[in-house]
Amino acid sequence: MSKALVILEGVRTGYFSETVLRDVDLQICPDDFIGVIGPNGGGKTTLIKVILGLQPVFSGKVRFPGGRPKTGYLPQVSQIDKNFPITVKELVNSGLKSKNPWFPHLSFRQLTRVKEMLDEAGLKALSSKPIGELSGGQLQKALLCRALIDRPELLILDEPNTHVDKQFEQELFGWLKELNKEMAILLVSHDIGTISPMIKTIACVNGTLHYHPSNQLSEEVLKVYNCPVDVIAHGPIPHRVLKTHGHE
Amino acid sequence: MSDLFSIFEYQFFQNALAAAILTSVLAAMVGTYIVSRKIVFIGGGITHASFGGIGLAFYMGINPLVGAAIFGILTAVGIEWISEKGKIREDSAIAILWSLGMAMGIIFVFMTPGYTPNLMSFLFGDILSVGALELYLLLAFCLLMIIVFAVFFRPILYTAFDPEFARTKGIPVAGFRYLMSVIMALAIVISIRTIGIILVLSIFTIPQITAMTFTRNFARIMPLAAIWGITGSVAGLLAAYLLDIPPGAAIIFFLTIQFLVIKMIMIIKTHLQRQQ
Repeated sequence: MSKALVILEGVRTGYFSETVLRDVDLQICPDDFIGVIGPNGGGKTTLIKVILGLQPVFSGKVRFPGGRPKTGYLPQVSQIDKNFPITVKELVNSGLKSKNPWFPHLSFRQLTRVKEMLDEAGLKALSSKPIGELSGGQLQKALLCRALIDRPELLILDEPNTHVDKQFEQELFGWLKELNKEMAILLVSHDIGTISPMIKTIACVNGTLHYHPSNQLSEEVLKVYNCPVDVIAHGPIPHRVLKTHGHE
Repeated sequence: MSDLFSIFEYQFFQNALAAAILTSVLAAMVGTYIVSRKIVFIGGGITHASFGGIGLAFYMGINPLVGAAIFGILTAVGIEWISEKGKIREDSAIAILWSLGMAMGIIFVFMTPGYTPNLMSFLFGDILSVGALELYLLLAFCLLMIIVFAVFFRPILYTAFDPEFARTKGIPVAGFRYLMSVIMALAIVISIRTIGIILVLSIFTIPQITAMTFTRNFARIMPLAAIWGITGSVAGLLAAYLLDIPPGAAIIFFLTIQFLVIKMIMIIKTHLQRQQ
Protein backbone atom coordinates (compact mmCIF):
# COMPACT_ATOMS: atom_id res chain seq x y z
CA MET A 1 0.00 0.00 0.00
CA SER A 2 1.30 3.44 -0.92
CA LYS A 3 2.30 5.91 1.77
CA ALA A 4 -0.61 8.03 3.05
CA LEU A 5 -0.67 11.72 2.15
CA VAL A 6 -2.83 12.72 5.11
CA ILE A 7 -3.75 10.87 8.30
CA LEU A 8 -6.40 12.09 10.73
CA GLU A 9 -6.38 10.34 14.11
CA GLY A 10 -9.15 10.87 16.67
CA VAL A 11 -9.72 14.44 15.51
CA ARG A 12 -12.20 16.58 17.41
CA THR A 13 -12.88 20.08 16.14
CA GLY A 14 -15.50 22.79 16.00
CA TYR A 15 -16.15 26.48 16.43
CA PHE A 16 -15.73 28.26 19.78
CA SER A 17 -16.82 25.67 22.36
CA GLU A 18 -19.18 23.82 20.02
CA THR A 19 -17.91 20.48 18.70
CA VAL A 20 -18.77 19.90 15.04
CA LEU A 21 -16.69 16.76 14.39
CA ARG A 22 -15.45 14.16 16.85
CA ASP A 23 -13.49 10.89 16.77
CA VAL A 24 -12.56 11.37 13.12
CA ASP A 25 -10.12 8.83 11.71
CA LEU A 26 -9.28 9.09 8.03
CA GLN A 27 -6.37 8.19 5.80
CA ILE A 28 -5.93 9.63 2.30
CA CYS A 29 -3.57 7.72 -0.02
CA PRO A 30 -2.18 8.93 -3.39
CA ASP A 31 -4.63 6.99 -5.59
CA ASP A 32 -7.73 7.51 -3.44
CA PHE A 33 -10.99 8.96 -4.76
CA ILE A 34 -13.09 9.49 -1.66
CA GLY A 35 -16.66 10.74 -1.82
CA VAL A 36 -17.57 12.60 1.35
CA ILE A 37 -21.31 12.71 1.91
CA GLY A 38 -23.49 13.89 4.72
CA PRO A 39 -26.36 16.21 5.61
CA ASN A 40 -26.12 19.99 5.76
CA GLY A 41 -24.37 21.02 8.96
CA GLY A 42 -22.90 17.53 9.36
CA GLY A 43 -19.32 18.79 9.20
CA LYS A 44 -18.30 18.05 5.58
CA THR A 45 -16.78 21.49 4.96
CA THR A 46 -15.21 21.50 8.44
CA LEU A 47 -13.49 18.20 7.58
CA ILE A 48 -12.05 19.80 4.43
CA LYS A 49 -10.81 22.78 6.43
CA VAL A 50 -9.05 20.49 8.90
CA ILE A 51 -7.22 18.75 6.04
CA LEU A 52 -6.34 22.11 4.46
CA GLY A 53 -4.99 23.42 7.77
CA LEU A 54 -7.63 26.16 7.94
CA GLN A 55 -9.38 24.75 10.98
CA PRO A 56 -7.49 24.06 14.22
CA VAL A 57 -8.33 20.82 16.02
CA PHE A 58 -9.38 20.61 19.70
CA SER A 59 -7.78 17.18 20.09
CA GLY A 60 -6.39 14.35 17.99
CA LYS A 61 -3.72 14.52 15.31
CA VAL A 62 -3.46 15.57 11.68
CA ARG A 63 -0.31 14.01 10.18
CA PHE A 64 1.37 14.34 6.80
CA PRO A 65 3.83 11.40 6.64
CA GLY A 66 5.63 12.73 3.54
CA GLY A 67 5.33 16.40 4.49
CA ARG A 68 2.31 18.55 3.72
CA PRO A 69 1.17 17.51 0.23
CA LYS A 70 0.59 20.05 -2.51
CA THR A 71 -3.15 20.59 -2.31
CA GLY A 72 -5.61 21.99 -4.82
CA TYR A 73 -8.86 23.29 -3.37
CA LEU A 74 -12.13 24.07 -5.10
CA PRO A 75 -14.48 25.78 -2.63
CA GLN A 76 -18.24 25.92 -2.94
CA VAL A 77 -19.09 28.37 -5.71
CA SER A 78 -21.46 30.18 -3.33
CA GLN A 79 -18.39 31.25 -1.31
CA ILE A 80 -17.02 33.15 -4.31
CA ASP A 81 -17.89 36.84 -4.67
CA LYS A 82 -18.72 37.06 -8.37
CA ASN A 83 -18.78 40.86 -8.20
CA PHE A 84 -15.16 41.08 -7.06
CA PRO A 85 -13.07 42.81 -9.76
CA ILE A 86 -10.70 39.99 -10.63
CA THR A 87 -10.03 38.58 -14.09
CA VAL A 88 -10.08 34.88 -15.00
CA LYS A 89 -6.30 34.94 -15.62
CA GLU A 90 -5.56 36.52 -12.23
CA LEU A 91 -7.93 34.06 -10.55
CA VAL A 92 -5.94 31.14 -11.96
CA ASN A 93 -2.62 32.88 -11.11
CA SER A 94 -3.75 32.95 -7.48
CA GLY A 95 -3.52 29.14 -7.43
CA LEU A 96 0.25 29.26 -7.90
CA LYS A 97 2.32 28.94 -4.78
CA SER A 98 5.30 31.22 -4.50
CA LYS A 99 8.57 30.54 -2.67
CA ASN A 100 8.25 33.81 -0.79
CA PRO A 101 4.61 34.33 0.27
CA TRP A 102 5.20 38.01 1.19
CA PHE A 103 6.65 38.84 -2.22
CA PRO A 104 4.97 36.35 -4.56
CA HIS A 105 6.76 36.61 -7.86
CA LEU A 106 5.42 34.49 -10.69
CA SER A 107 8.00 33.12 -13.09
CA PHE A 108 7.68 33.20 -16.87
CA ARG A 109 7.28 29.41 -16.80
CA GLN A 110 4.40 29.64 -14.29
CA LEU A 111 2.63 32.33 -16.34
CA THR A 112 3.03 30.21 -19.48
CA ARG A 113 1.46 27.28 -17.64
CA VAL A 114 -1.55 29.46 -16.74
CA LYS A 115 -1.96 30.38 -20.43
CA GLU A 116 -1.75 26.73 -21.48
CA MET A 117 -4.23 25.62 -18.84
CA LEU A 118 -6.75 28.30 -19.80
CA ASP A 119 -6.33 27.20 -23.41
CA GLU A 120 -6.91 23.52 -22.51
CA ALA A 121 -9.99 24.43 -20.45
CA GLY A 122 -11.42 26.46 -23.35
CA LEU A 123 -11.19 29.68 -21.35
CA LYS A 124 -8.47 31.41 -23.40
CA ALA A 125 -10.88 33.92 -24.94
CA LEU A 126 -12.23 34.76 -21.49
CA SER A 127 -8.85 35.13 -19.72
CA SER A 128 -9.05 38.94 -19.51
CA LYS A 129 -12.74 38.97 -18.59
CA PRO A 130 -13.85 39.61 -15.02
CA ILE A 131 -15.28 36.53 -13.28
CA GLY A 132 -18.64 38.29 -12.99
CA GLU A 133 -19.14 37.81 -16.75
CA LEU A 134 -18.77 34.03 -16.60
CA SER A 135 -21.58 31.46 -16.59
CA GLY A 136 -21.85 29.02 -13.68
CA GLY A 137 -20.02 26.29 -15.63
CA GLN A 138 -17.29 28.66 -16.86
CA LEU A 139 -16.67 29.93 -13.32
CA GLN A 140 -16.47 26.37 -12.02
CA LYS A 141 -13.96 25.56 -14.81
CA ALA A 142 -11.86 28.62 -13.89
CA LEU A 143 -11.93 27.63 -10.22
CA LEU A 144 -10.89 24.10 -11.14
CA CYS A 145 -7.99 25.54 -13.18
CA ARG A 146 -6.96 27.53 -10.08
CA ALA A 147 -7.07 24.35 -7.99
CA LEU A 148 -5.01 22.39 -10.53
CA ILE A 149 -2.45 24.96 -11.69
CA ASP A 150 0.05 24.07 -8.97
CA ARG A 151 -0.07 20.36 -9.96
CA PRO A 152 -1.45 19.14 -6.63
CA GLU A 153 -0.99 15.69 -5.10
CA LEU A 154 -4.37 16.00 -3.40
CA LEU A 155 -7.41 17.68 -4.96
CA ILE A 156 -10.23 18.69 -2.62
CA LEU A 157 -13.57 19.69 -4.12
CA ASP A 158 -16.49 21.04 -2.11
CA GLU A 159 -19.82 20.46 -3.89
CA PRO A 160 -18.37 21.03 -7.40
CA ASN A 161 -21.59 20.05 -9.18
CA THR A 162 -23.84 22.74 -7.72
CA HIS A 163 -24.92 25.70 -9.91
CA VAL A 164 -23.89 23.81 -13.07
CA ASP A 165 -26.00 22.03 -15.69
CA LYS A 166 -26.09 18.25 -16.15
CA GLN A 167 -23.93 18.40 -19.29
CA PHE A 168 -21.14 20.25 -17.48
CA GLU A 169 -21.49 17.92 -14.51
CA GLN A 170 -20.80 14.90 -16.73
CA GLU A 171 -17.85 16.72 -18.35
CA LEU A 172 -16.47 17.58 -14.89
CA PHE A 173 -16.79 14.00 -13.65
CA GLY A 174 -14.97 12.78 -16.78
CA TRP A 175 -12.04 15.12 -16.00
CA LEU A 176 -11.96 14.01 -12.37
CA LYS A 177 -11.71 10.33 -13.41
CA GLU A 178 -8.69 11.24 -15.56
CA LEU A 179 -7.14 13.42 -12.85
CA ASN A 180 -7.42 10.59 -10.32
CA LYS A 181 -4.71 8.77 -12.29
CA GLU A 182 -2.29 11.48 -11.14
CA MET A 183 -3.64 12.64 -7.79
CA ALA A 184 -5.79 11.73 -4.80
CA ILE A 185 -9.24 13.28 -4.84
CA LEU A 186 -11.59 14.06 -1.99
CA LEU A 187 -14.98 15.14 -3.27
CA VAL A 188 -17.67 16.49 -0.99
CA SER A 189 -21.25 16.11 -2.08
CA HIS A 190 -24.67 15.89 -0.51
CA ASP A 191 -25.71 13.56 -3.31
CA ILE A 192 -24.31 10.01 -3.25
CA GLY A 193 -26.25 8.93 -6.34
CA THR A 194 -24.51 11.37 -8.66
CA ILE A 195 -20.96 10.77 -7.51
CA SER A 196 -20.97 7.01 -6.83
CA PRO A 197 -20.07 5.94 -10.41
CA MET A 198 -16.63 7.52 -10.20
CA ILE A 199 -15.61 7.48 -6.52
CA LYS A 200 -13.77 4.50 -5.04
CA THR A 201 -14.72 4.86 -1.38
CA ILE A 202 -17.25 6.73 0.72
CA ALA A 203 -16.86 8.69 3.94
CA CYS A 204 -20.17 9.49 5.66
CA VAL A 205 -19.89 12.62 7.79
CA ASN A 206 -22.48 13.64 10.32
CA GLY A 207 -20.81 14.83 13.50
CA THR A 208 -18.41 11.94 13.15
CA LEU A 209 -17.01 10.03 10.17
CA HIS A 210 -17.65 6.51 8.98
CA TYR A 211 -15.56 5.10 6.17
CA HIS A 212 -17.04 2.65 3.63
CA PRO A 213 -14.50 0.88 1.41
CA SER A 214 -16.92 0.82 -1.51
CA ASN A 215 -18.39 3.32 -3.97
CA GLN A 216 -21.95 2.23 -3.26
CA LEU A 217 -24.01 2.37 -0.12
CA SER A 218 -25.84 -0.86 -0.85
CA GLU A 219 -28.42 -2.27 1.54
CA GLU A 220 -25.85 -4.89 2.56
CA VAL A 221 -23.20 -2.28 3.28
CA LEU A 222 -25.69 -0.20 5.20
CA LYS A 223 -26.60 -3.21 7.32
CA VAL A 224 -22.95 -4.05 8.03
CA TYR A 225 -22.14 -0.50 8.98
CA ASN A 226 -25.52 0.32 10.47
CA CYS A 227 -25.51 3.43 8.31
CA PRO A 228 -29.04 4.64 7.60
CA VAL A 229 -29.43 6.44 4.29
CA ASP A 230 -32.80 7.79 3.27
CA VAL A 231 -34.08 8.20 -0.26
CA ILE A 232 -35.20 11.76 -0.66
CA ALA A 233 -36.79 13.13 -3.82
CA HIS A 234 -35.41 16.58 -4.38
CA GLY A 235 -34.45 18.17 -7.65
CA PRO A 236 -35.54 16.73 -11.00
CA ILE A 237 -34.23 13.22 -10.27
CA PRO A 238 -34.91 11.49 -6.93
CA HIS A 239 -31.62 10.34 -5.48
CA ARG A 240 -30.10 8.94 -2.30
CA VAL A 241 -28.97 11.39 0.27
CA LEU A 242 -27.53 10.65 3.67
CA LYS A 243 -30.14 12.14 5.96
CA THR A 244 -29.39 10.76 9.38
CA HIS A 245 -26.49 8.82 10.67
CA GLY A 246 -26.41 6.10 13.28
CA HIS A 247 -22.87 6.23 14.54
CA GLU A 248 -23.40 8.58 17.44
CA MET B 1 -12.64 83.78 -17.37
CA SER B 2 -9.40 85.64 -16.59
CA ASP B 3 -10.74 85.82 -13.04
CA LEU B 4 -10.80 82.02 -13.00
CA PHE B 5 -7.19 81.72 -14.16
CA SER B 6 -5.95 84.39 -11.77
CA ILE B 7 -6.78 82.10 -8.83
CA PHE B 8 -4.01 79.72 -9.94
CA GLU B 9 -1.43 82.40 -9.10
CA TYR B 10 -2.20 82.18 -5.38
CA GLN B 11 -0.08 79.85 -3.25
CA PHE B 12 -3.05 78.68 -1.16
CA PHE B 13 -4.92 77.62 -4.31
CA GLN B 14 -1.87 75.85 -5.74
CA ASN B 15 -1.59 73.97 -2.44
CA ALA B 16 -5.30 73.12 -2.53
CA LEU B 17 -5.00 71.86 -6.10
CA ALA B 18 -2.00 69.69 -5.21
CA ALA B 19 -3.83 68.37 -2.13
CA ALA B 20 -6.90 67.51 -4.24
CA ILE B 21 -4.77 65.64 -6.79
CA LEU B 22 -2.70 63.78 -4.19
CA THR B 23 -5.78 62.87 -2.11
CA SER B 24 -7.46 61.55 -5.25
CA VAL B 25 -4.45 59.35 -6.12
CA LEU B 26 -4.17 58.06 -2.55
CA ALA B 27 -7.91 57.41 -2.27
CA ALA B 28 -7.92 55.67 -5.66
CA MET B 29 -5.52 52.98 -4.43
CA VAL B 30 -6.89 52.45 -0.94
CA GLY B 31 -10.51 53.00 -2.01
CA THR B 32 -10.28 50.28 -4.68
CA TYR B 33 -9.38 47.83 -1.90
CA ILE B 34 -12.25 49.14 0.27
CA VAL B 35 -14.89 49.00 -2.48
CA SER B 36 -13.73 45.61 -3.84
CA ARG B 37 -13.82 44.02 -0.38
CA LYS B 38 -17.22 45.67 0.28
CA ILE B 39 -15.97 47.17 3.54
CA VAL B 40 -17.14 50.76 3.04
CA PHE B 41 -18.94 50.51 6.39
CA ILE B 42 -15.58 49.74 8.07
CA GLY B 43 -14.19 52.90 6.44
CA GLY B 44 -17.10 54.83 7.97
CA GLY B 45 -16.28 53.37 11.38
CA ILE B 46 -12.60 54.35 11.12
CA THR B 47 -13.46 57.87 9.93
CA HIS B 48 -15.91 58.64 12.69
CA ALA B 49 -13.95 56.89 15.44
CA SER B 50 -10.95 59.08 14.57
CA PHE B 51 -12.97 62.07 15.80
CA GLY B 52 -12.39 60.72 19.31
CA GLY B 53 -8.65 61.09 18.69
CA ILE B 54 -9.08 64.61 17.36
CA GLY B 55 -11.03 65.58 20.50
CA LEU B 56 -8.42 64.00 22.79
CA ALA B 57 -5.61 65.76 20.87
CA PHE B 58 -7.38 69.13 21.28
CA TYR B 59 -7.74 68.43 25.00
CA MET B 60 -4.07 67.46 25.35
CA GLY B 61 -2.85 70.27 23.10
CA ILE B 62 -1.16 68.03 20.51
CA ASN B 63 -1.54 67.80 16.72
CA PRO B 64 -5.13 66.58 16.07
CA LEU B 65 -3.97 64.40 13.15
CA VAL B 66 -1.76 62.41 15.54
CA GLY B 67 -4.75 61.72 17.79
CA ALA B 68 -6.91 60.85 14.77
CA ALA B 69 -4.25 58.47 13.42
CA ILE B 70 -3.95 56.60 16.75
CA PHE B 71 -7.73 56.25 17.13
CA GLY B 72 -8.11 55.35 13.43
CA ILE B 73 -5.46 52.61 13.56
CA LEU B 74 -6.84 51.17 16.82
CA THR B 75 -10.35 51.10 15.36
CA ALA B 76 -9.25 49.52 12.05
CA VAL B 77 -7.12 46.86 13.73
CA GLY B 78 -9.86 46.25 16.33
CA ILE B 79 -12.50 45.70 13.64
CA GLU B 80 -10.20 43.32 11.74
CA TRP B 81 -9.50 41.40 14.96
CA ILE B 82 -13.20 41.17 15.81
CA SER B 83 -13.97 40.04 12.27
CA GLU B 84 -11.24 37.37 12.47
CA LYS B 85 -12.29 36.04 15.88
CA GLY B 86 -15.99 36.37 15.11
CA LYS B 87 -17.02 36.68 18.75
CA ILE B 88 -19.06 39.84 18.18
CA ARG B 89 -20.94 40.60 14.97
CA GLU B 90 -18.69 42.78 12.80
CA ASP B 91 -21.39 45.35 11.95
CA SER B 92 -22.32 45.70 15.63
CA ALA B 93 -18.66 46.23 16.58
CA ILE B 94 -18.31 48.91 13.88
CA ALA B 95 -21.44 50.69 15.13
CA ILE B 96 -20.11 50.65 18.71
CA LEU B 97 -16.66 52.02 17.74
CA TRP B 98 -18.22 54.55 15.33
CA SER B 99 -20.50 56.10 17.97
CA LEU B 100 -17.98 55.70 20.81
CA GLY B 101 -15.39 57.67 18.81
CA MET B 102 -17.83 60.47 18.07
CA ALA B 103 -19.00 60.55 21.70
CA MET B 104 -15.42 60.73 23.01
CA GLY B 105 -14.63 63.49 20.52
CA ILE B 106 -17.59 65.56 21.67
CA ILE B 107 -16.71 65.03 25.37
CA PHE B 108 -13.05 66.00 24.94
CA VAL B 109 -13.86 69.04 22.78
CA PHE B 110 -16.40 70.10 25.44
CA MET B 111 -13.77 69.66 28.17
CA THR B 112 -11.09 71.59 26.24
CA PRO B 113 -10.74 75.08 27.74
CA GLY B 114 -11.43 77.99 25.41
CA TYR B 115 -12.50 77.93 21.78
CA THR B 116 -11.40 75.19 19.33
CA PRO B 117 -11.17 77.12 16.07
CA ASN B 118 -9.92 74.24 13.90
CA LEU B 119 -12.68 71.83 14.85
CA MET B 120 -14.88 72.68 11.87
CA SER B 121 -11.96 72.20 9.47
CA PHE B 122 -11.62 68.59 10.66
CA LEU B 123 -15.34 67.94 10.45
CA PHE B 124 -15.91 69.47 7.01
CA GLY B 125 -12.34 69.76 5.66
CA ASP B 126 -10.39 72.90 4.82
CA ILE B 127 -8.49 72.27 1.64
CA LEU B 128 -7.74 75.99 1.17
CA SER B 129 -5.62 76.08 4.33
CA VAL B 130 -3.47 73.01 3.56
CA GLY B 131 0.14 73.94 4.24
CA ALA B 132 3.46 72.79 2.76
CA LEU B 133 4.12 70.30 5.57
CA GLU B 134 0.74 68.62 5.08
CA LEU B 135 1.38 68.49 1.34
CA TYR B 136 4.75 66.81 1.84
CA LEU B 137 3.09 64.31 4.19
CA LEU B 138 0.42 63.57 1.59
CA LEU B 139 3.05 63.22 -1.16
CA ALA B 140 5.24 60.92 0.94
CA PHE B 141 2.29 58.70 1.90
CA CYS B 142 1.11 58.63 -1.71
CA LEU B 143 4.53 57.48 -2.94
CA LEU B 144 4.72 54.90 -0.15
CA MET B 145 1.32 53.52 -1.18
CA ILE B 146 2.36 53.31 -4.85
CA ILE B 147 5.36 51.21 -3.72
CA VAL B 148 3.24 49.06 -1.35
CA PHE B 149 0.60 48.34 -4.01
CA ALA B 150 3.24 47.65 -6.67
CA VAL B 151 5.27 45.26 -4.49
CA PHE B 152 2.39 43.53 -2.70
CA PHE B 153 -0.22 43.75 -5.45
CA ARG B 154 -0.87 40.01 -5.75
CA PRO B 155 -1.16 39.12 -2.03
CA ILE B 156 -3.34 42.20 -1.45
CA LEU B 157 -5.63 41.13 -4.31
CA TYR B 158 -5.71 37.44 -3.36
CA THR B 159 -6.32 38.01 0.36
CA ALA B 160 -9.09 40.49 -0.44
CA PHE B 161 -10.77 38.14 -2.93
CA ASP B 162 -10.58 34.71 -1.27
CA PRO B 163 -8.71 34.76 2.04
CA GLU B 164 -9.27 31.06 2.78
CA PHE B 165 -7.83 29.96 -0.52
CA ALA B 166 -4.93 32.41 -0.11
CA ARG B 167 -4.14 30.73 3.22
CA THR B 168 -3.95 27.34 1.52
CA LYS B 169 -1.26 28.84 -0.73
CA GLY B 170 0.80 29.93 2.25
CA ILE B 171 0.06 33.66 1.96
CA PRO B 172 0.14 35.30 5.43
CA VAL B 173 -3.49 36.45 5.18
CA ALA B 174 -3.78 37.85 8.71
CA GLY B 175 -0.56 39.85 8.23
CA PHE B 176 -1.82 41.43 5.00
CA ARG B 177 -5.28 42.11 6.42
CA TYR B 178 -3.77 43.97 9.41
CA LEU B 179 -1.34 45.81 7.14
CA MET B 180 -4.23 46.96 4.97
CA SER B 181 -6.23 47.99 8.06
CA VAL B 182 -3.41 50.28 9.18
CA ILE B 183 -3.04 51.65 5.63
CA MET B 184 -6.79 52.32 5.42
CA ALA B 185 -6.76 54.17 8.75
CA LEU B 186 -3.74 56.32 7.84
CA ALA B 187 -5.05 57.11 4.33
CA ILE B 188 -8.42 58.18 5.72
CA VAL B 189 -6.87 60.32 8.49
CA ILE B 190 -4.44 62.03 6.10
CA SER B 191 -7.35 62.87 3.78
CA ILE B 192 -9.47 64.37 6.58
CA ARG B 193 -7.79 67.80 6.22
CA THR B 194 -8.82 67.92 2.55
CA ILE B 195 -12.40 66.68 2.67
CA GLY B 196 -13.34 66.45 6.36
CA ILE B 197 -14.59 63.59 8.55
CA ILE B 198 -18.18 63.87 7.38
CA LEU B 199 -17.39 63.59 3.66
CA VAL B 200 -14.03 61.81 3.40
CA LEU B 201 -15.49 58.39 2.70
CA SER B 202 -16.97 59.68 -0.58
CA ILE B 203 -13.57 60.19 -2.20
CA PHE B 204 -12.69 56.61 -1.23
CA THR B 205 -15.79 55.21 -2.93
CA ILE B 206 -17.38 57.41 -5.64
CA PRO B 207 -14.41 57.54 -8.10
CA GLN B 208 -13.97 53.75 -7.68
CA ILE B 209 -17.64 53.08 -8.44
CA THR B 210 -17.34 55.42 -11.44
CA ALA B 211 -14.25 53.50 -12.64
CA MET B 212 -16.09 50.19 -12.18
CA THR B 213 -18.63 51.20 -14.82
CA PHE B 214 -15.71 50.86 -17.31
CA THR B 215 -13.71 47.94 -15.93
CA ARG B 216 -13.94 45.09 -13.45
CA ASN B 217 -10.19 44.59 -13.28
CA PHE B 218 -8.68 45.53 -9.89
CA ALA B 219 -5.41 46.75 -11.44
CA ARG B 220 -7.22 49.00 -13.93
CA ILE B 221 -9.75 50.39 -11.46
CA MET B 222 -6.98 52.15 -9.49
CA PRO B 223 -5.63 54.46 -12.26
CA LEU B 224 -9.14 55.10 -13.61
CA ALA B 225 -10.41 55.99 -10.12
CA ALA B 226 -7.46 58.38 -9.77
CA ILE B 227 -8.44 60.12 -13.02
CA TRP B 228 -12.12 60.42 -12.01
CA GLY B 229 -11.08 61.55 -8.53
CA ILE B 230 -8.81 64.27 -9.95
CA THR B 231 -11.36 65.56 -12.49
CA GLY B 232 -14.15 65.62 -9.90
CA SER B 233 -12.10 67.25 -7.15
CA VAL B 234 -10.49 69.88 -9.41
CA ALA B 235 -13.92 70.74 -10.87
CA GLY B 236 -15.32 70.94 -7.34
CA LEU B 237 -12.48 73.17 -6.22
CA LEU B 238 -12.99 75.60 -9.12
CA ALA B 239 -16.75 75.61 -8.57
CA ALA B 240 -16.17 76.35 -4.87
CA TYR B 241 -14.09 79.38 -5.85
CA LEU B 242 -16.55 80.66 -8.49
CA LEU B 243 -19.71 80.10 -6.43
CA ASP B 244 -18.12 80.81 -3.04
CA ILE B 245 -19.26 77.53 -1.51
CA PRO B 246 -17.36 75.08 0.81
CA PRO B 247 -14.75 73.19 -1.29
CA GLY B 248 -15.11 69.82 0.48
CA ALA B 249 -18.85 69.67 -0.19
CA ALA B 250 -18.37 70.99 -3.76
CA ILE B 251 -15.82 68.21 -4.49
CA ILE B 252 -18.21 65.49 -3.31
CA PHE B 253 -21.05 67.09 -5.27
CA PHE B 254 -18.99 67.05 -8.49
CA LEU B 255 -17.77 63.48 -7.91
CA THR B 256 -21.40 62.40 -7.59
CA ILE B 257 -22.60 64.37 -10.62
CA GLN B 258 -19.72 62.93 -12.64
CA PHE B 259 -20.70 59.39 -11.57
CA LEU B 260 -24.38 59.93 -12.40
CA VAL B 261 -23.64 61.42 -15.86
CA ILE B 262 -21.24 58.58 -16.74
CA LYS B 263 -23.64 55.94 -15.45
CA MET B 264 -26.46 57.45 -17.49
CA ILE B 265 -24.31 57.56 -20.66
CA MET B 266 -23.34 53.91 -20.15
CA ILE B 267 -26.98 52.88 -19.64
CA ILE B 268 -28.06 54.72 -22.82
CA LYS B 269 -25.11 53.20 -24.74
CA THR B 270 -26.02 49.67 -23.60
CA HIS B 271 -29.67 50.29 -24.47
CA LEU B 272 -28.77 51.51 -27.97
CA GLN B 273 -26.42 48.56 -28.54
CA ARG B 274 -29.21 46.12 -27.58
CA GLN B 275 -31.58 47.80 -30.05
CA GLN B 276 -29.15 47.44 -32.97
